[in-house]
Amino acid sequence: MALHCYSPFSVLSQFRGSKGNRVIICADLLSALLLRAIGQKLQKSYRMNLRPLGVLRSSQDRGILPCGDIAALVYLWNPFTILSCVGLSTSPIENLAVIVSLYGAVTRRVPLAAFGLIMATHLSLYSAPLVFPLIFLLGYGLDAPPIKKFLQTRHGGVETGSTSDVSKQEKLTPTTQLPFSWRTVLHFVFWVLVWSSYVLVLCSLSLKQYGGLEEMFKRTYGFILRIEDLSPNIGVFWYFFAEAFEFSRNYLLIIFNLYILLTSIPSLMFRLKHRPCFLAFAYLAFTSILKSYPSVGDAALYLSLWALFVNELTDMEYSFFIFCGYIGFSLLSPVMHNFWIWRGTGNANFYFGNAMGYACFQFMFVEKSVNAMLNHDQALKKATAEMTKNLAITVIF
Amino acid sequence: MAAVNRDNEEEVKTDDGSPKIKPRPIVRLGIFLIAHSPVFSVVFSAAGVLALLLLPLLAKNTYISENALMPGSARSMLSNRDVSDGSKLVKDIKNFRLNHEGQGVEVQKLIGKYMSDMGAEVSYQKFHPEGNQFHPLHFFSGPDSYTLLENVSCASYGVNVAGIIRAPRGDGKESIVLVTPYDFINGGDYEDLSLGIVSSLFSLLSRVTWLSKDIIWLVADSRYGDYRPVAAWLTEYHSPSFKVSDLLKCDEQNTADNFRRAGTMAAALVLKVDGRSEKFEDTLSIYAEASNGQMPNLDLINVVNYLAVHRQGFYVKVEKVVSLLSSSWLKIFGEIFEAVGKLAHMLNPDWNFGIPAADYLEGSATLASSLYSQALGIPTGPHGAFRDYQVDAITLKVSPRFPPDSKTRQHDFFLRGARLLEGTIRSVNNLLEKFHQSFFLYMLTSPSKFISVGVYMIAFALLVAPLPMVAASLYIDGCKSLTNSTDNPTENFKSWKWLDAAKQVFTLHLFGFIVTLLPYFICQVPGQHSPTNRSIMWGTTSSSLLLITFVTMPGCSPFSSRLHGTNWAILKSVTISAAFIGLCLMSIINFATAEIGALLLVPTCLMAQPIKPALRSRRLKSLLGAFCSIVLLTIGFPVMFFAISKGLLGEGLVGLSLGGEFWTWLESLWAWKSATYLYIGMVHLPCWLLCLCILFHPS
Repeated sequence: MALHCYSPFSVLSQFRGSKGNRVIICADLLSALLLRAIGQKLQKSYRMNLRPLGVLRSSQDRGILPCGDIAALVYLWNPFTILSCVGLSTSPIENLAVIVSLYGAVTRRVPLAAFGLIMATHLSLYSAPLVFPLIFLLGYGLDAPPIKKFLQTRHGGVETGSTSDVSKQEKLTPTTQLPFSWRTVLHFVFWVLVWSSYVLVLCSLSLKQYGGLEEMFKRTYGFILRIEDLSPNIGVFWYFFAEAFEFSRNYLLIIFNLYILLTSIPSLMFRLKHRPCFLAFAYLAFTSILKSYPSVGDAALYLSLWALFVNELTDMEYSFFIFCGYIGFSLLSPVMHNFWIWRGTGNANFYFGNAMGYACFQFMFVEKSVNAMLNHDQALKKATAEMTKNLAITVIF
Repeated sequence: MAAVNRDNEEEVKTDDGSPKIKPRPIVRLGIFLIAHSPVFSVVFSAAGVLALLLLPLLAKNTYISENALMPGSARSMLSNRDVSDGSKLVKDIKNFRLNHEGQGVEVQKLIGKYMSDMGAEVSYQKFHPEGNQFHPLHFFSGPDSYTLLENVSCASYGVNVAGIIRAPRGDGKESIVLVTPYDFINGGDYEDLSLGIVSSLFSLLSRVTWLSKDIIWLVADSRYGDYRPVAAWLTEYHSPSFKVSDLLKCDEQNTADNFRRAGTMAAALVLKVDGRSEKFEDTLSIYAEASNGQMPNLDLINVVNYLAVHRQGFYVKVEKVVSLLSSSWLKIFGEIFEAVGKLAHMLNPDWNFGIPAADYLEGSATLASSLYSQALGIPTGPHGAFRDYQVDAITLKVSPRFPPDSKTRQHDFFLRGARLLEGTIRSVNNLLEKFHQSFFLYMLTSPSKFISVGVYMIAFALLVAPLPMVAASLYIDGCKSLTNSTDNPTENFKSWKWLDAAKQVFTLHLFGFIVTLLPYFICQVPGQHSPTNRSIMWGTTSSSLLLITFVTMPGCSPFSSRLHGTNWAILKSVTISAAFIGLCLMSIINFATAEIGALLLVPTCLMAQPIKPALRSRRLKSLLGAFCSIVLLTIGFPVMFFAISKGLLGEGLVGLSLGGEFWTWLESLWAWKSATYLYIGMVHLPCWLLCLCILFHPS
């Protein structure tokens, strides 16, 4: 519905032919529905996690925002989503695959999660490291405050009858280690193997005449990793590789591709292993800055995932500044493109400068979100510590 | 001082709760600026206006940046024989027109015959003089192929004649275009002279050996304006329509398959001979502004200016606002700047920035004209059509000092005019690539002086610099006041308080977008309507839309109760941010519009504050502030500003006819796809409305 309301754009899309568009609109709507379901799960777990900690009083229960609805609306009404839908880009379908895998992991439907992951990886290589958040999600359960806080509260003797799955598991194993359900993960790995072999067999069968799988890998993953197409996009790599000398090209390729993998995954995994969904958001946002052919559809995906955590991120800093930056740069980008390509009075530096600014704001957005999430956990810790102290005092007297 | 402490606290809080960390110097500078934002905003705005006034002083002399051009280094090869060819054509046309009254096509054939006699390939192109239609998606979309109407009347169509000389040393991939607009039915004597000049040159170019780019001579049928025939020819040249046009059936003359092309255009020169010069010398006026303030490469103007002044002895001028030359306040400024310059020169002989007051006046008048035509976004001549295809082009308007029937002077005039064009073509012919070396973003203060983008952007940057500072300071204030009122339901969302205000700003911008599109639908209303009627329709639909917006979304209305309304400081902060983004975007699309818009919008946004507390307090300072903001808001309304700038208020033309005129003006803006129209509808109008909301805010 949101898509049809945009009259000037829908006119354009009708003009392009509505056949492909229908698939993309369906993909977008389905993504929004799945996001809503994920959000409802997350909201439930948020409430259940806060109650035993004693932070959440029943009067404040109303204060919890329906993050699923918000995320779905953010996804559907995001100008980026509308643009990529109107432009008949394939990113709505890639986004759908990613959301399907997250949905499968959140609802613990392991085959679905594995299917989503394999499809997302098949469509775009950068989704492959999502396997880590998914494993965490299946192993540790939904997003929750770090385990130490639970242990603290239990030692303080505040543990009230909890209904949460997570805390039930903790009761069984009162160690400082997080409980990790290896069985589900092995199940997941098995399904990943099944789906990937399935996809590979199908591909090899259909591509037999065209050079087989080897050719497919070269043309798809090779194309993504080697950054062969240097036509300008909103990312930063096309400029680097247009300017780079031929002899340093391979070196730079290795550096840049490893950079995405090594800077984002290990550090984020270490700090955010108790919040796998948020880890998925942070990783997706990070790759959408640094991937070889980014599009606004990627931004639409991570922004809607971000909206799943509105409850936790209420204290995000510089939100207005970042918002203005996003608006400014996303409006500036077509202007700069027009300046360079149509008018011929600007040059590539104008457009690249804009892409750099956009990347800066994206970095800032990820950084501030992660910071806000860590602060939120810290604040929870502080609040529970105070609570236990007070309770201990009351117990003594 | 208290403000600084407050901000330091703010900073410390954001620095992860560790109060010992001293912020970096740049952060401290930012905090200092934000804390003293009222003072700095006055200082920066005043500096911005002053910098704008100083621009004529800062103009640099032009220089030819591309070495390959080498203007005037080769001896002219134009001989008397060529000139007599040109004279003969002019004489023949005159005779022909005396004998055959009103037979335009025959004149075209005569010109075509002359061209083919000189060895050129001749082609005729028919076009339909169709008016520009408003289409909401056509801004920035580049040149579009004009769709042919279904039932074209054969009564009105124009015919362009184009002759192409193939270069002996070229490969047919590049060309230079000469355009002479000519009215075949009732062209005057002066228009004949332009044909004479170019045909003299054409006669020379058909036999020279140094040409490496093909030469196209386009005689554009200017019955329906200068611009339209050139645009139609360029559209056909670049994006031919393969549908068989109905126009072809109109005449027995077969023009279908003989349209000739000659590769990429390196440059284009439009030559017009117009009126008699007031000066003692022949005058050459250069027109360069294309649509949306785009300019051709400065080197093209430099070459023409150099050859005209130093080789052919023309008096070269660019357009200026004549009324400014006699303005006394500008004269006072000029004298002050002159005195300061002299003083500086006395203190240090190396400081030579002073210019005489008269020069300053001239420069300002030229700059004002340059700003005006760039801001309007309407091309000043047929050269504008070339800019849409990234071809550098200028219009040269030559005014001879003799009456058109003087035979003796005519020869000399043809010789000099053709030599000027020959020199220019020879320079462009030397180029191996497109013009790229010199500036594209500049403004002229005289034919030989320019202000580059790096200099004039300073004035704009200073003018808009207060906006982010004030926005930040208001944002901090607004957050503070919201936190103090504890029973606020949004207490939980410390950093998302701006969302309500953003909603209001977004709604009004959406309203502005719809208002911008409304004329398209009003034009679709069947029946003939006068501009006044259409403007009334527009006004009523817009205001009823605004009312509906206010009724359905009570948060947006300035007259809402306090419960619904947002905090005005935050609303103002978001408004100012939106204005800042809009102005910065516009400054890249069209600098002149943004500069003029900023002169209006920046003070309005900065001064806007609720009027009720000011009236309640009854202090002189706050009353004065409220009065200023009301005055600024009154001037800032687009229709009002239009009326003031037209000077209509004095003539008692306020009322309905004003609306009609405003409509006509806007119609011309969108017909030329001027981004100024978008700016007015989507940046200026919403920000103005938001300032109005702040003014009537119930706080």
